[in-house]
Amino acid sequence: MSEETQMDTLAYSSRMLSWAPLGKFLFVIAILIVNIVTSSMMVPFVTLAIGLSMMASSTNFKIPFFVGLALAEAILILAIGSGMISITGDKADPAIWDTHLLWFDIYMTHESFNKAWLVMFRGVAGMSVMISFATSTPIPHLSQALKQIHMPREVSELIVLIYRYGFLLLERMDAMWEAAHCRMGFNGFMNTMRTTASIAVGIFTSSSNLADKAQIALDCRNYQGYFPIYNTPPRLGIKWIAVTVIAFVLIYLFGMYTEDWIDMAELFFGGSL
Amino acid sequence: MTDYLFETENLTYSYSTRQPRPSLDSVNIRIRRGVRTAILGANGAGKSTLFYHFNGIFKPVSGTVKYAGKPLDYSRNALSELRNDISVVVQNPDEQIFSATVEEDIAFGPMSAGIDKEETERRIQDSLFKVGMEEYRSRPTIQLSYGQRKRVAFAGALAINPKVLVLDEPTAGLDPQMSQEVIELVEQLCVSGTTVIISTHDVDLAYAWADEIHVLREGNLIYSGEPESFFADYSAVASAGLVLPHTFSINNSVQGICGGRAEPYPRTNSQILCKMLPEGSRAGKIRMIPVTDSVPDSGDEGISSGIYGSVTRRLFKLAGREPDFHFNAIEYCLMEAIGGKDSVLYFDAPLKDRILEIIGRMEAFGRKIEVVM
Repeated sequence: MSEETQMDTLAYSSRMLSWAPLGKFLFVIAILIVNIVTSSMMVPFVTLAIGLSMMASSTNFKIPFFVGLALAEAILILAIGSGMISITGDKADPAIWDTHLLWFDIYMTHESFNKAWLVMFRGVAGMSVMISFATSTPIPHLSQALKQIHMPREVSELIVLIYRYGFLLLERMDAMWEAAHCRMGFNGFMNTMRTTASIAVGIFTSSSNLADKAQIALDCRNYQGYFPIYNTPPRLGIKWIAVTVIAFVLIYLFGMYTEDWIDMAELFFGGSL
Repeated sequence: MTDYLFETENLTYSYSTRQPRPSLDSVNIRIRRGVRTAILGANGAGKSTLFYHFNGIFKPVSGTVKYAGKPLDYSRNALSELRNDISVVVQNPDEQIFSATVEEDIAFGPMSAGIDKEETERRIQDSLFKVGMEEYRSRPTIQLSYGQRKRVAFAGALAINPKVLVLDEPTAGLDPQMSQEVIELVEQLCVSGTTVIISTHDVDLAYAWADEIHVLREGNLIYSGEPESFFADYSAVASAGLVLPHTFSINNSVQGICGGRAEPYPRTNSQILCKMLPEGSRAGKIRMIPVTDSVPDSGDEGISSGIYGSVTRRLFKLAGREPDFHFNAIEYCLMEAIGGKDSVLYFDAPLKDRILEIIGRMEAFGRKIEVVM
């Protein structure tokens, strides 16, 4: 099985598969918003705890290797970004670290240092919640959820078609990639570039070919312009709304109460402040 | 008056005006209702193009297509009705399957036709059962192997209970066992009254299965009729880009070596063997046991057994019993009988007449196989 399909497999085997997709979506959005609107350093930890527990309950933390790699990359980018935030403090405030490196003035303040950590924590916590949603909600379920909120039918049908034929094109690309390997297509830098370009062109032409054939196949199956759904996932119920609102309010209040609990600058620089 | 299901008159079709010659050129074909029909031709001969005219996907550039005696009406509603009658299974299942899970894909046809959920559920179960994919019901389609996808495509077509089933290269890409299973399933459909039309370049399949063949070459219909007459004309076979079926070739070779008459032409290995057997050799018996809701015990220990039909196959699986012949069991039982051995054939009760007909054909090749019910 290709790596691309692993995510889909994971979603279909999730213990949260039968949960209302719209409910999950609403809950995740609410958690992400409250994660941002409060300035307490404790809220991202609560968000992270929710994200991790959802991941544990959904898939026992199983995530495909390539998703793990993408996450690691995102965390690295976050760390670099946070580092940049921490060293570009407001010069009106007193510096906790001030130096000059090449063309750059490094000016770290108490506030910029804390803000950098807050951004970092928020980012990581937000990713955990989003991954728990992505690994428990197959695309067709999401499409059905969009239908339930009266998203234009064309959009949701398009999502399903892209999802379905996207995988087929990825499979085709895998096959072309392996065939190119067999023919020494990746022997040397220039050769690799040429082969990659050829594969990209091949995939493009395959996609139009596939579209033609798919249209015929759709007509053969008496396609009426929409995909009827046999197993509609549960709708968004009052329980989900209640849980979402309660979680939002509780976390928000918790954020207000714990606003000054953690001071990262104090922790790192202690007495020198 | 012959009951023609499809009739075309001077059917001509081109994919584009710049084509040097049309993909179908004045094709006049008549396909009879209830007759096992194969359309033969090399790649690019126009088989699929012809199929897509039967269900109104393509509209002829000139000429007409008639279904059940009436010219096709290309209005949206009429086409929708037509496609509820005629189910086409395309060669590549990936083009045909577009739902995320197996059950969703099979439900697509019935639900598009406005059938209620209860009936759709029954059809899903029935179709999955027929193709032996019950345990894959909630699996994502992208996780299935090619053979499994082909079965799902087949099940999706069966779920609309078509009057006509058109199969484009049904055994292409399938392993030999699965191919046999498909043919067995096709037989069941034929027995239940569905007209099955197969498009193929597999001459062995067409020769063994079809009552009537139509041969296309470069968009022209070059032959319609019984398979034997076509394959007897070597130059026609070669010019159509085909080869002789192996049973036909062996029969010719045996005739060349041993003398005797080429007719009757055997279509299966058992029929060839039957023809070659010396006079007076003893043939075994076939004990036929119909299966309805449980697997009866034949009580014939040490005798080879075979199964035929999807109900029988399922009940054997549930009972954990292992027959000697899983697939192509009629042929294997006949081979046993020719070798002088008795065998037991468990079969789906509705297939009885068809099995007796196949066994009865052996008489034409000089051997009467005794059947014990």
